[in-house]
Amino acid sequence: MDLKTLLSFEWGMMAPEFTILIVAVILSLIDLFGKDSIKKYIPSFAVAGIGLALIFLLFQYGHEEVSILYDTYIFDSFAFSFKFILLIGTLLIFFMVLSKQKDEEITDRGEYVYLLLSALLGTMMMASSGDLITLFVGLELLSLSSYIMVAMRKRNKRANEGAMKYIINGGIATAFTLFGMSYIYGISGTTKLVDISREMSSALGTTEPIATVGFIILFVGLAFKISSVPFHMWTPDVYEGAATPVSAFLSVVSKAAGFVIIIRLFVTIFNTGVEGNETLYSSMIGFVAILAILSMLIGNIIALRQRNMKRLIAYSSIGHAGYILIPIVSLSAMTLENVWFYLLAYSFMTIGAFMVIYILEQSEKSEDISIFTGLFQRSPVLAISMTIFLLSLAGIPGTAGFIGKFNIFVGAISADPAQYILVGVMAVATVISYLYYFNILIQMFIRQPEFEGRRTVNKMQAVPLIACITGTIVLGIFPFIALNFFS
Amino acid sequence: MSSVPLQAYLIVALILFCIGLFGALTKRNTIIVLICIELMLNAVNLNLVAFSKFGASANITGQVFSLFTITIAAAEVAVGMAILIAFYRNKRTVNIDEMNTLKE
Repeated sequence: MDLKTLLSFEWGMMAPEFTILIVAVILSLIDLFGKDSIKKYIPSFAVAGIGLALIFLLFQYGHEEVSILYDTYIFDSFAFSFKFILLIGTLLIFFMVLSKQKDEEITDRGEYVYLLLSALLGTMMMASSGDLITLFVGLELLSLSSYIMVAMRKRNKRANEGAMKYIINGGIATAFTLFGMSYIYGISGTTKLVDISREMSSALGTTEPIATVGFIILFVGLAFKISSVPFHMWTPDVYEGAATPVSAFLSVVSKAAGFVIIIRLFVTIFNTGVEGNETLYSSMIGFVAILAILSMLIGNIIALRQRNMKRLIAYSSIGHAGYILIPIVSLSAMTLENVWFYLLAYSFMTIGAFMVIYILEQSEKSEDISIFTGLFQRSPVLAISMTIFLLSLAGIPGTAGFIGKFNIFVGAISADPAQYILVGVMAVATVISYLYYFNILIQMFIRQPEFEGRRTVNKMQAVPLIACITGTIVLGIFPFIALNFFS
Repeated sequence: MSSVPLQAYLIVALILFCIGLFGALTKRNTIIVLICIELMLNAVNLNLVAFSKFGASANITGQVFSLFTITIAAAEVAVGMAILIAFYRNKRTVNIDEMNTLKE
């Protein structure tokens, strides 16, 4: 490759990724050599960098498909819309980080910031990679950064333990993912997604059992990132051990990235077939459906008996992963739109709920559900915002969560063949989830407060709260804004 | 060319993978668990290199992929050891079954 071909690539398409990369490198250098007076602005620099990347990304709106670096980097509408969610989610999480000026437990705040940025870079590379190798490197960039972020509170025993469980589970999941990828490489002889789908669309013949095994192993490995069954056991422990903004990152951005990679791999590789022939994906749909059903039921049922708020949200996020798997099972033209909308709605409501927990956790020094007792008397603002997020998580009309669930519901019924069992399980799981979401409402509005004094929300804490409330309500009342943006 | 067929390599890799998985799920010592994860990743490398040499459409990509895998596996084990050291400083143990403070 000479200089001329190198320059002929349309590098401008990678502007958002380059921005994040450069900001992360500069911040790590400032953290190493800078004076303390500059260092305290590191999180603000990061927010500015993400804002810049978001602007670059929005300039690419409606741009035609581009693939550079011999198809290893693809820009298409899919990559664009999912990168939008990833950047918005990380931006909100940075506002969460900024809201706490002093942190006794995390002394190395700079590292925290640029690890978040490098994890974001990994997710963005995953969203637009067109090759198994770049996909894997992006995935591992995300995983390794998240392992360190979870372990950041190094004097905290629970954080150590959560991180250790996370890395052991994550290592096994990585091995599974790679083992699946190696089989796929073996039967297709290439790592480029376009070529693999071409190889897969021709008759598989004797290699079909290997392709099936590869499919199952790969899916099991990737289930770790979206925290669905069978790799869901780490979720509650890690969320409890990690600092709250990190838990929010794992439950929103990392999960969105997991869905990105699953859609990219399974829908593009395995779902291309000769017209009329059954594709490998459609013959394996039962397997994915079972995982979706188990995630919905296990997540929501175990959440019933949780008293620690972060564990409760963790189990509910396992349930949500199950909901988002439904459109992937019932493949139709609406699948991408439904997954995208649900993930966007989910980011706003989950980050909002984590923000309320974060504020209360700082003032009460506890994560137990009792921090919510009598919250309406102590701080009506917090109580009402938490109510909005919980109603949205439960899927009550008027909120973004309702529209997301409704779309998934309609999509699954109108798919061919209609997924009545999945829809039924989803309805049951939603009703179960009302029990624990409304229990928190009871704590806030009916119980007498167990903690003294009023709680106020300062300016920095108000920014992410207001953003999340706006997102949840606007998407709930005018969902077509987001849906038009997507298409 | 050697006379060992592709299937033999694949079976060895599968056995290695299963041994690694078994060890990772049952061993008490965290260091052994990390080594078992390495074993699983090495099974992947064996697969990739075997496919790259004897596969239906043999090409060099598999070997490049395995180089990436080796590098990332090294990074992963480094992070794992760092976390383990932080854990050991606080609890003076490396046993998995003593990681039980986080429970419902």
